[in-house]
Amino acid sequence: MKEPIGRFIARWYSIPLLLVVWQVAVSSGLVQSRLLPGPAAVVEVLFSQIMSGVLVYHAAVTLGRALSGFALAATVGIPFAAAMARAPLCRNLFEPIFFFGYPVPKIALFPIFTYIFGLGTQSKIAFTFLECLYPIVVSSYFGFRGIRTRLVWTARNFGAGPWTVFWRVVLPSALPAIFSGLRIALPVAIIVVVLTEMIGDSIGLGYYITVWSTRFTFQNVYAAIIVVGVCGFSLDQILVQIRRRFVHEAPDAAR
Amino acid sequence: MKLRLTVFQNLLVPVVVVVCWEVFGRLGDVPPYLSYPSQILAALWHLAADGELFGAVVVSLYRVTAGFAIGASAGVGVGLAAGLVRGVRNFFDPLVSLLFAVPKIAFLPVFLILLGIGDPSKIGIVAFSCFFPMFIAARHSVSSINKLFVWAAQNMGASRHTLFFRVIIPAAAPEIFAGLRISLAHAFIVLFAAELIGSHSGLGMLIADGEDAARFDLMFAAILAFAILGFVSDRILMAVRARVLRGAMLGTEEKILA
Repeated sequence: MKEPIGRFIARWYSIPLLLVVWQVAVSSGLVQSRLLPGPAAVVEVLFSQIMSGVLVYHAAVTLGRALSGFALAATVGIPFAAAMARAPLCRNLFEPIFFFGYPVPKIALFPIFTYIFGLGTQSKIAFTFLECLYPIVVSSYFGFRGIRTRLVWTARNFGAGPWTVFWRVVLPSALPAIFSGLRIALPVAIIVVVLTEMIGDSIGLGYYITVWSTRFTFQNVYAAIIVVGVCGFSLDQILVQIRRRFVHEAPDAAR
Repeated sequence: MKLRLTVFQNLLVPVVVVVCWEVFGRLGDVPPYLSYPSQILAALWHLAADGELFGAVVVSLYRVTAGFAIGASAGVGVGLAAGLVRGVRNFFDPLVSLLFAVPKIAFLPVFLILLGIGDPSKIGIVAFSCFFPMFIAARHSVSSINKLFVWAAQNMGASRHTLFFRVIIPAAAPEIFAGLRISLAHAFIVLFAAELIGSHSGLGMLIADGEDAARFDLMFAAILAFAILGFVSDRILMAVRARVLRGAMLGTEEKILA
């Protein structure tokens, strides 16, 4: 399915248009190129920094932290949500913590994390874990609770044991909700890591952005922002692909 | 009896944590940077009594409200326009999908340079990060409206004005509120980071001050105030939502969350 060239232009023209306007504004001296370097300068820096491996290194640090925190939150959060949905005791003990804690801006706790875990990678991963845990648990919890009892009854009627019921009925029907929780949590992980790196660190993309902006070298700042954006976008796409692989029937996929 | 047991279990974990924290904090078994609850409450009281807390809360609240109001209304406006008009949609869709994956806080240095270290840069960055989730929610809300409603209204001779205010807005409202809630959460995260990284006032600054002076009770008090502020704002938004969407919420499981 190739769409006509006219429609393609109509749908995507705004990005090149803005880039051209930006470049013209910079080249004509309308804005100070020191504060707002043109796209050509940014791309040049982007390539040289990637080639020299500096941006690759910082991106690897940031991605490693974001993915570790995210993976930790998923491995803890999903079984925990299942336990909360299925066991009343567990639900009563922990439901208030999740539902009252959900709207609290947890970023305020970050200073405490730096005291407990230090300024380095550990505090970032621990904090990312906390931030990702909430959307994953809350979304999966609703997924595990919203299972149609009829399906479970049918499976039991056919003689399925609790283990089979969980793996073949409960988990597949909760999977769409679990994935939407993961999809909320993944960008959160990247945001939180970049943000905490900006607050205080000596490696990572957030550090890179802060240090080059204090040197007033904004082409490097924009280059790093582009790298962050590309990382976030590709991770989301990977998650969408994994979801497509595992979730076979999802009528309300858009949600 | 059953209800009492549930309430008991609900409160068990938080109460145990707070009591242990207090006891071990007083005994000195907890590192000093964790402080302990009664000391934190005393610090909170002290901060509130000498007006420092009030001043910081006003500053932070002003920034978050102004930024949220600007960013969210721009997001709703442009999002609805993008949902309704193809030209607007074609212009904004690629830009938003390009920028959505970028943590907006990464633009903080740019905002600081362009708007200075005071209120405008904080309001700007908050508005900027509120815009995107709001745009996506509003744009999506319009495109997911049941076409039959629109056709029915048109058939019955509704003007464009009536169509917009009596059909499209009510049908889009639930998703717009979902977007508002996400935007509000983003607003607080970004505000906190902005105040911590570059600011001379506000709650974020109060937390940083407490940290610098090793007055951990003060730091915790400010953190507590910030958490309460975020929590209460979310509650207010949900209360407004419940009022506006009286009909749409009947029989949904979301009552648990709200």
